[in-house]
Amino acid sequence: MDTIKRDPRKEFGKAVAELAETDERIVVLSADSGGSAGFKDFAEQHPEKYYEFGIMEQGITGIAAGLATTGKIPVFCAIAPFVTCRPYEMFRNDLGYMKQNVKIVGRNAGFTYSDLGATHHSLEDYAIMRMVPGAVVLAPQDVGEIRSAVKAMMDYNGPVYMRIGNGAIPDLKKEAAFIIGKGEILREGNDLTILSTGSITGEVLCAAALLEDQGISVMVIGLPTVSPIDCEIIKYAAEKTGRIMTVEEHYICGGLGGSVAEVIAQSCPVPLKIHGVPHVYATSGSYEELLRYYKLDAKGIAAVAKDFIA
Amino acid sequence: MERNKRLKLEVTAEKCRRNVLRMVESSGHGHLGGAFSCIDIVTALYFYKMKIRPEEPDWKERDRFLLSAGHKCMAQYAVLAEKGFFDKSVLDTYGKLGTKIPGHPDMHKLLGIEANTGALGHGLSIADGMALGLRGKAKVYVIMGDGELAEGSNWEAAAAAAHYHLDNLTVFVDFNGLQISGQVEKIMNYVPIDEHFKAFGWAVENIDGNSMEEIIDVLDRLPLQKGRPTAIVAHTIKAKGITFAENQAKYHFWSPKNGELQQAIEECEAKIGKIAQEIM
Repeated sequence: MDTIKRDPRKEFGKAVAELAETDERIVVLSADSGGSAGFKDFAEQHPEKYYEFGIMEQGITGIAAGLATTGKIPVFCAIAPFVTCRPYEMFRNDLGYMKQNVKIVGRNAGFTYSDLGATHHSLEDYAIMRMVPGAVVLAPQDVGEIRSAVKAMMDYNGPVYMRIGNGAIPDLKKEAAFIIGKGEILREGNDLTILSTGSITGEVLCAAALLEDQGISVMVIGLPTVSPIDCEIIKYAAEKTGRIMTVEEHYICGGLGGSVAEVIAQSCPVPLKIHGVPHVYATSGSYEELLRYYKLDAKGIAAVAKDFIA
Repeated sequence: MERNKRLKLEVTAEKCRRNVLRMVESSGHGHLGGAFSCIDIVTALYFYKMKIRPEEPDWKERDRFLLSAGHKCMAQYAVLAEKGFFDKSVLDTYGKLGTKIPGHPDMHKLLGIEANTGALGHGLSIADGMALGLRGKAKVYVIMGDGELAEGSNWEAAAAAAHYHLDNLTVFVDFNGLQISGQVEKIMNYVPIDEHFKAFGWAVENIDGNSMEEIIDVLDRLPLQKGRPTAIVAHTIKAKGITFAENQAKYHFWSPKNGELQQAIEECEAKIGKIAQEIM
């Protein structure tokens, strides 16, 4: 893991801007949210491809669908709960049911709007967005993966929801091509597999190192595509380590854990621990405090894993 | 407009009403009231105004038509069939398993449908996006229900259309005054509807939405103002054309009984014959 940390939103905006240089179809829609989504430069350099609508997430989601029917690839990025929960029916009908090529990006997701409270946390987005047939749900784990996931979602012809965080995050691996629906072994191990998604994977890798020091060998698999889930790699992990734990910055119901449970229960039954945020409106505090409070920091994850395999 | 041309459009609208009754016969029910209140407008759009190619329904430069009030879709199916988008035998599959013409429209089942509406308050936003993407190339027409105006998302879309000066966008509000539970004005009042749209920056006009003459007249003058989207408040009669059903909320969704359907068919066919005789 690299010690250098990079800003996910800024890099996301840059990645979209780079692709928009050569792809005339890409347009950016803003709900008074463009600057914070890393689109400040883009808005100045490409005013003809940048549409500001003000704070109307329902309207924008429908407008994006209409634009997509004319051949555009609209990218709409705003605070995660406001692009998922609020316009959910528009995502379901106008993008999902209509199969429109629109990219919805929830920024400041998970706990990253930490002390702003539960209205601004996004802890159900994996669950609700993966319910829409044909919708791809992505949660890249580091900045390099955000960049490659942006390319992959533009290449995919259909609705995509991508979650990104807020604070600077470390690079976990070398930037490589992103394949939608594929997980990746990030660390080998034999006693337990931890499946993780999103930027919390950095904490998971640290937890695996802590556990190694205690004589517990953990395989870590990154699943940056929450839907469609990589069934094959889950089955492989179940067979290899016989125990699986999922970690996500999301409620313990319906998200990555729920998705993995659906695979395990039906294809490869092994003991499973779903670790995430309990199904309550979370408390507020700094991001680091919240991770510690809900045992989603490296130490907390290691402790939960140790209990699970005890 | 020349009398004969108008009469031909009127007889076409009645033939489309007859197509709707054929669908009701197939399924045993349907959202009749709204389909019949807006069908004169839908007929005029497809047979008089819009740039379309029935033989090439997905032609890129075509004008778009959306029923934001998707439950009125029997009107659109009826007109598309009459215009030759699909064989009329498909009308007999309405309400049947696997049909191309379900109770709310599905663009992936039937070419000619532009959006999967049915949930209210979606159509105008989608139309905004289409009008934005097609500016300078094609026009976008929308029919909204009057009860539908209570959905807040419409007003987000209304603001955006005016903000982006979408004068290639025209909305007809099918103001028949009735929704499923009764009078629109008593349930949630948006009257005066024209003033609402005007306040958002739209050009507005009121017409009799069941008068072919008035529909054509306003279509000939679009956009009403350069740089502004147009909202036409079409004063219509729910279930227009079936005397016993007109202007009654209970015919919003109709499951005909006691010879009602036959009576409606006879009235519709008599009207087709009468107008046809007037055409010189």
